[in-house]
Amino acid sequence: MSNFKGVNYDSPCDTDDDWTDSSDDSKYSDSASSVPEWDSDVEENGELVFIRIKRRKEKCNENKAPLLENCETFKLRNNFKRTSTRRSTKGKIFKVLKGQSSKNKAQSKKKDLENIRATSTATLNTNELTENPKESVIIQVSRNMIFSSEKNCQIEKLFGISLETHSDGKSLIVADFLTEAMPIYGSKVKKGYYLTKVNGIEVNSYNINNILQRVYEEPNNPKLQFQMPEESSLISLERLLKSKNLLENKSTQLLKDFSCSVLYISCNDIENTRNDDKGVIYCYPRPFSQNFLYNTRGAYLTLNHLAPKSLGTSEPTCSTVLHNDNLIHVNYTSHCNDLLLITFPNKYIDAFSSKKVNADIVKLLEFLYGSLKTCFTKPNNVDRLDSLFCRIFVTLLFNNEQASASDVHFEDILAAYSVTLPLEVRVQVDDAITELEAADYREWTDDFENFQRLYTVIGSCLYYSGHLLSSHLQDEDLKEINAFLKLNGVLALSTDNELEKLVMWKEVFIHEHRKQSKNDGQDYRIPDGRWFLLVVGKGHFILATLMEAGGCTEDAVGVTPPSPFYVEECESCLELFYEVSLDKYLASWLSSNTHPQIETTPERLTKYGKKMKEMNSFRADTLRPTLRTSKSSADLKKRHSSSEQIYMGSSLSDNSNYGSHHNLYSQWYHGTQKYRHSSLDVSHSEDSNSLKSNSEISDDRVQGRRADREQRNRRDSSGSDSDWDRQDGSRASGSIDMTDIRKSLLNEINRVTVHRITTGEENVLFHFIQLEAEKGMFIAPVRNIEEQANNVLYSFIIRTFRSACKKIHELLQQSIRFKRNHAPVNPLNKILVAVKEYGMLFQVPQDVLNQCTSSRKTNEIFKFWVVGRIFSEPEPRELYICYHESIPQDLTEVGYMLSYLE
Amino acid sequence: MSVVVIAIATDSGVPIFSRKRGNSDTVQFSTIASLHGINMFTKCHNLTMLNTLVDNGKILWKEYCKSVTLIGIATGGLECDLELLLASIHDVMIFCIGKKELETLKNVDQTKRDLRQCYPLIDYLLESLDPNAISSPLPTLVLDLVQSFLCPQAQQLQQALDNYAESVTGRWACLSIHGHLVATSSDFDELNPREARLMLLLAASQDGAPLRETPVYLPHMSPNVAFRAVTCKLLSDVYILVVCGATPPLSQIDEIVLLCWEGYAQVIKEAKLIHPRNFPMSITFEPCVLAILVINIPKRRCVFSRHLHPTQKGRGMSGSHRLDILRTFYITTARDLAPELRIDDQERDYLAGLTETYWCSEYHKCHAQRMRNLLCCVLYTSTVHNHTMRSITNQILQDLSSNKEIYW
Repeated sequence: MSNFKGVNYDSPCDTDDDWTDSSDDSKYSDSASSVPEWDSDVEENGELVFIRIKRRKEKCNENKAPLLENCETFKLRNNFKRTSTRRSTKGKIFKVLKGQSSKNKAQSKKKDLENIRATSTATLNTNELTENPKESVIIQVSRNMIFSSEKNCQIEKLFGISLETHSDGKSLIVADFLTEAMPIYGSKVKKGYYLTKVNGIEVNSYNINNILQRVYEEPNNPKLQFQMPEESSLISLERLLKSKNLLENKSTQLLKDFSCSVLYISCNDIENTRNDDKGVIYCYPRPFSQNFLYNTRGAYLTLNHLAPKSLGTSEPTCSTVLHNDNLIHVNYTSHCNDLLLITFPNKYIDAFSSKKVNADIVKLLEFLYGSLKTCFTKPNNVDRLDSLFCRIFVTLLFNNEQASASDVHFEDILAAYSVTLPLEVRVQVDDAITELEAADYREWTDDFENFQRLYTVIGSCLYYSGHLLSSHLQDEDLKEINAFLKLNGVLALSTDNELEKLVMWKEVFIHEHRKQSKNDGQDYRIPDGRWFLLVVGKGHFILATLMEAGGCTEDAVGVTPPSPFYVEECESCLELFYEVSLDKYLASWLSSNTHPQIETTPERLTKYGKKMKEMNSFRADTLRPTLRTSKSSADLKKRHSSSEQIYMGSSLSDNSNYGSHHNLYSQWYHGTQKYRHSSLDVSHSEDSNSLKSNSEISDDRVQGRRADREQRNRRDSSGSDSDWDRQDGSRASGSIDMTDIRKSLLNEINRVTVHRITTGEENVLFHFIQLEAEKGMFIAPVRNIEEQANNVLYSFIIRTFRSACKKIHELLQQSIRFKRNHAPVNPLNKILVAVKEYGMLFQVPQDVLNQCTSSRKTNEIFKFWVVGRIFSEPEPRELYICYHESIPQDLTEVGYMLSYLE
Repeated sequence: MSVVVIAIATDSGVPIFSRKRGNSDTVQFSTIASLHGINMFTKCHNLTMLNTLVDNGKILWKEYCKSVTLIGIATGGLECDLELLLASIHDVMIFCIGKKELETLKNVDQTKRDLRQCYPLIDYLLESLDPNAISSPLPTLVLDLVQSFLCPQAQQLQQALDNYAESVTGRWACLSIHGHLVATSSDFDELNPREARLMLLLAASQDGAPLRETPVYLPHMSPNVAFRAVTCKLLSDVYILVVCGATPPLSQIDEIVLLCWEGYAQVIKEAKLIHPRNFPMSITFEPCVLAILVINIPKRRCVFSRHLHPTQKGRGMSGSHRLDILRTFYITTARDLAPELRIDDQERDYLAGLTETYWCSEYHKCHAQRMRNLLCCVLYTSTVHNHTMRSITNQILQDLSSNKEIYW
């Protein structure tokens, strides 16, 4: 073990003082003998939760949600997304990313556009860096942007937010965001923040009107400064995760108000007499007397006994009750003689979701404790359970505050969220994980004959920003680990924040082991041992590894703290991904919308949209040369040649040519459609030219400085002031042969083609979900696709899609259950079990349509299908797609096309 | 499948009646008491238990008039709106004994005895849910709709009904053939559709009697004052119903019936021929259409037919199975097209803007489309393509709304 060489790396950071910090990190990883920084956080029972998040200030560059941009770029983003990825060769992406001011790393965009943005973001950068350490955020909103406000409110029109007055009558609080403005504020500003300054002038409810007037008059883009409210009103997931046994009174009170409760009752007579609370073993939140579930437990207990015994039905699964005008779902889980009740408010979690979430929670408890019984009867476990349930409820209730009531996303509760990746990338990811799993310890120690390994890695899975990239786990294990990460808020944490370091270590009871003890006599038996889950996170990556102690490994006896060695192994696995720049690749991949491509600007499919498109392609011929020269003259780097190459490529092949035209020039279409300043489009390319050169200069400057300091060779792809670059540069020197090979492999992905899974000339696909429930995962467009689309009509479609899917999914379950079990105890409806496809056609209400197309007079009807289908061959799966009515689709074909992407 | 409905006096906990359909055991008295206890207990804690899901089923409590609690238990994959069933059964109870008696419940034993007369009606309602019993001629296909058929003579018959209603000093009269509502007097639409359905149930339950009068309380129109419902059998399976006051006496009505209807025998016979096709011959259907269910949404009336092609024998699928498919399709899926037909005001899964919906199963396809007030659910053979299916349904809807012979 002493021989192990940690990969030399620097953690990504932004400012100089951070630099020194991170070199400490690398020192530690160089020598495994030194005490790891998380060592002091290991608890008495050997478990560990260690989280360090990059602070807002540092991480702002990494935000995936587009930050504040010039209005043109902001709006045009829609149109350019697709073109960008057409050209997104690996090298391309990275170069673009680097050439780009780091802000926009998530979107590799047309170069000229990038440059417009470069200036705007540069100013923003300074703002944020010079900001005082108090948690405040500055957002710049373009003057050119006018939000459509229904209330005709000035604030909404200018800034896209609606404000309300604080109870002190003076301060202004953000009450809501308009849909279009959401991406600007993104994750930086949330509801409940105070608006403190506009253009540096303090605002309150008295002077806001004057200030708005001034904003009108001033030529500059208004800068809004927001301040985070006092800690109290926001519950931080990070703190909840770290907290060992504290129970914040605030959050408990909050959960009480939301009628979230957990109750575990033992119906065993012995327990009954021993226990003062008549069999109640666990109750959350306490005190008992204030818990409505505790007070009414008799009803659920009786029903749970009555239903199977006297009514001949199965045990109840869920009761819907009305308490203080709140609709609440009470979920039942019977275990031996005991009963677990968990409640959710309908406002946040509807009946459909509550069923799924309940199943997930039960899965999680069994995973963590072996069985429900041991979970609740384990001595001194109450505090841990309290904080676990607190985390679960907080994650469920407050995580998607942007979503409206009872709108837990259909996807979020189904299974592990997975995305399609190009084969080459998947191979590399799998390769890296396999290497970790193989744990070939000859590489680590010379003395391997006397060395017995501590753990065998059974499998692992990798997440990026909440998306499952790869899983080498058994299906059941994946489901449980996914439930663990999701309900504990780890996935949410890694999506919203950039982790500097996350290490979690927990003993778990894997499904196979739990099942085995029940039915013995199988040929194959897993060893009697102990299992541990190690979760390591960095950046947006989360790597969960399931390890086994038993069999060929040393026996784990007593308290088992995490082994620094394995933690480092996992960390170095993540490092590897950074080395091959997978992080950047994924960031751009997730925002690329190519695989398969979905239509995020649905109004393009209207007659009006088509007309505009025709006009654009007509205009395109005249505009193309300008764009090209602007590119080549300004760009002196290699980026130029590759983009040129792509450009040629796209004009050669017919299909892509169509796509690129369409995307390249649809900005004009949007420009005229949405902006006050429609004349803008003509001067656009010149603008971009001049802006471009600015950014180039700044790039070079930064590069130079860094080069001096680091004395390192720049890789050919580097060339920006992004913090990611530094990492890359630094790592490049210390990298080993393997990574070079990998790197070149990623470089190989020179051309990302746009995939479509629907038939027809136009892309009519709005969304899709392919669920493989048995495997515990599903494939869908990226999580923030709605944010990326930033389109009222699209949001409407997605919302409808989700609620329709819930209904379709429920109906199709009948057939799935029937196929799984041919003679079910409770007979199924014989008609419903035969249904294999269920479709719904929706018509978009006129008012939604009017918000999207400028021509208000057209009475055009916009219809779209939501169709779900089950496939039983080769493996059972469900496919849900949402597409425009104009081109009929065959779901079998779509499923087929989709399987090719995988 | 099985469905059980239990009625209990809320305050005293005395069981009033318990009716069931299907293969479940009779619910024990102690079980009824426990079920009631659950409801009472939660009520003490300011909690209302709305419903409870079990595997493939549901348990529902519902309190009416603050005096009677109905408990419904449905299992075995029965697709029905339990809440609607309980509401309908409550309607039946009012229909028979009036709201006042039900509210005060002074003498529970007396009320229990009085309610015996509504057992046949309740049993009809429960039977209509049973897919195995669908072949029996029932006036209730779907709980919230009045089953009828479309005949060209309806307009002519309306005049006769108006005339008849006037002569017996009543307002609301209708003609039923084979338990289907065929023609109504012009004021008949004033009645709540659920009341209209009760009238038809009444006629069906009084099978055989040539002329009969029954005191009825209309649950929505006049829950406390009884009217007199007079049912009169004109031909076999043909009844005229009228709701009128205390006069004229039954003997006089007998004469009036003769007077009013003598001339219409031929018309009624012609109308009778429409059944079981249930659509005028001028409306034709494609061969791939196996069965159809058309719903007039504002009038809450539906027309079902599975005998669309005179020459063709039903292949493969039995007629009652077709009916069951379309009915299940309507209840679970197509009803979303007409949100106004939902009775629960929670509207939890209300899907805005839904205009068409379909199912494909291994053996058949169902498609539903709404055109203004008409909702059309069509059962197709599984070989039909989805887009063909859409255009055929659309064509049917257009035919139905433009055909001159159709008179709802």
